[in-house]
Amino acid sequence: MGEDVRIIVDGRAIAAPQGATLLQAMLDAGLDIPHYCYHPKLSIDGSCRLCSVKIEGMPKLQIACNTTVRAGMVVHTDDPDVAQTRRGVLELLLLNHPLDCPICDKAGECWLQNYSMRFGSRVARTVEPRRKHGKRLDIGERMLLDQERCILCRRCVRFCREVSASGELVIYNRGDRSVLDIADRRLDNAYSMCTADICPVGALETKDFHHRLRVWFFTQTASVCPTCANGCNIAIDESHNRIWRLTPRRNDAVNDTWMCDAGRLNYRFVASPARLRQPLALRDAALVPTSWTEAIECAAAHLLRVRDAYGGGTLGALVSPHLTVEENFRFGELLRVLGTKQIAMAVARGPSDNFLIKPEKAANARGVRELGLVSGADDGLGSLIDAVKAGRVKALYVCGDDIVRVLEAPRLAALLEALELLIVQTLEQVPAFARAAVTFPTTTFAEKSGVFVNFAGRAQRIMAAIVPPPGWLNDGEIFTALLNAVSSRQERFNPEAVWAHIVDSTAQFSRLTLERLGTQGAPLSPAGAPAAGQAPAT
Amino acid sequence: MAARVKKVMRPPPRIADWHSAVALLMGFWVTFRHLMVNLFGFSRGRQDFTVYYPEQRFLHAPALRGMPVLVQMEDGRERCVACGLCEWACPTSCITIFPAETDDQVERYPRVFDIDVSRCMFCGLCEEACPEEAIVMSRQVEIAAYSRAGTLWHKDDLLVPVAKLKTRIDYLRANYGR
Repeated sequence: MGEDVRIIVDGRAIAAPQGATLLQAMLDAGLDIPHYCYHPKLSIDGSCRLCSVKIEGMPKLQIACNTTVRAGMVVHTDDPDVAQTRRGVLELLLLNHPLDCPICDKAGECWLQNYSMRFGSRVARTVEPRRKHGKRLDIGERMLLDQERCILCRRCVRFCREVSASGELVIYNRGDRSVLDIADRRLDNAYSMCTADICPVGALETKDFHHRLRVWFFTQTASVCPTCANGCNIAIDESHNRIWRLTPRRNDAVNDTWMCDAGRLNYRFVASPARLRQPLALRDAALVPTSWTEAIECAAAHLLRVRDAYGGGTLGALVSPHLTVEENFRFGELLRVLGTKQIAMAVARGPSDNFLIKPEKAANARGVRELGLVSGADDGLGSLIDAVKAGRVKALYVCGDDIVRVLEAPRLAALLEALELLIVQTLEQVPAFARAAVTFPTTTFAEKSGVFVNFAGRAQRIMAAIVPPPGWLNDGEIFTALLNAVSSRQERFNPEAVWAHIVDSTAQFSRLTLERLGTQGAPLSPAGAPAAGQAPAT
Repeated sequence: MAARVKKVMRPPPRIADWHSAVALLMGFWVTFRHLMVNLFGFSRGRQDFTVYYPEQRFLHAPALRGMPVLVQMEDGRERCVACGLCEWACPTSCITIFPAETDDQVERYPRVFDIDVSRCMFCGLCEEACPEEAIVMSRQVEIAAYSRAGTLWHKDDLLVPVAKLKTRIDYLRANYGR
């Protein structure tokens, strides 16, 4: 785009890029202009008429979403005509809107509620009965439709046409008989739940969050989706120390304002009753719960025993692509102290598409590679397996259970059978790891802070949303405790300090301070580039 | 930074002010009047001067704000739709609600509705916030329990048939402009 143009809104000068819409220019300038149908990532519809503003030189009010900025434009949004138009639009929208707010899941984050309270009139003048339409219609695997609540902004229709390119939703009939419904097939595309996000009212609701909890009890934490390598930016909605839903957070460099349904539903494992809540130790061929201190001592003793008997080269490790860069860095330190040479990573793969869903089903595989822990096309896995078979590796430290999904059961069993010592860090108890000398519970993305690097090499922060039980050691703390036990160090695990160290010591991460990453992340520096005197990447 | 002290001139206290003497005498008069009524009231036909609690119960006025309870409709269901407004309005956060879905027209009911009696301060904001007239302040004031667990009232403890709450509901409709 060309040079910025300057316009005047309510006596205030605003700069906007040439060709931008007036509404976006005003929103970017921090003005709170009510709007329903406009969405920055969808085409212009101009159906709600709520963003009408007065522009000097034009005979009538203009909708700001479909007006292009022009140099010297003088706009008034505090005009009595504008206020009256907003009041009128809201009154017409509320003509047939059911007053379902007490049972509507959107209540609290509903644009119709908010704008009605701020700009609408508090009096209903209608005497006619409200129209009746379908409620709680099962329109898809994960979606419900309430036609009465719909205000016909057509955001969802445009989403299905333009973003998911599947076109399930249409508006039937015209005028006041218009009604939103599915066309010839159900709303089952891989991004269907985004329609509930962009719905300004509670017409489209996810079954997952239907009658679950009030949105005003949530504490939102900015984080990154752990489901695949794309690293979509999300907000974790937490209440009562539980996750209730994940919603996409806008990041134009990664996921715009969308996320896939699989990622959005992938949070229940955090509160799963099947999760390990205590370390397990192998005693008399059975895994028994043990204390954290004992488990750390036991694991350190085993590792030292194998190293002293056969040498550090016989220790192998499988790093996890689910752990943060900081934790993997600390794991790398531990492995260096132990003298481990055979390090590999197993990354589970799954279906992908050409939009957001990536084949690698782990959030931080790229981060592990950038740290230089693993190399090769298969991330060193083949070499590790050969070394175990040849007897060159006698002990294995496994982080995460991805290996169970990567290797077929007989191959995995044969691999683990050949080992003398197995130490495991997993989310749930896995039958394949029944012979592990020590099993540590691992920590999920929602319980820790750190940095993930997505497939394209963008470092993004995750933040702890829920608090693990007292006494819990997260992965970084386990590695640090083991590091202290096998060496004479007295360290603590502080992700911020570890990250600062990584930034100082690794070329790819140079200058990516946490402040710089912020909530939107930043791309890594090209490998091998000098740390200083280089133009900042955007 | 040193705090700045400003001395304020106050008049010296005067016990012999006439209005404080009058107030004192008025207080004495109230005490004396009660003494006389209790000593000689029987001669005017008054029988009891005491409610023999717990054998006898005082029937509180409908304006009394006792324990908030849930209104149970004739069909045995609660009127509450778990909208969460009382939970939000509660200044002591003593209400905990988890909603769930029903198959009927109402769509939604409270799967869990707990009130921590030991935290409730009987302000009545939950009753005012309720859009469904589903939580009302009852005449129930006996809330003592032997354990902390006993002070947590669940939905079953809180449900009161609508017939028993008629006076309070009528009072609400008359006084809260509903």
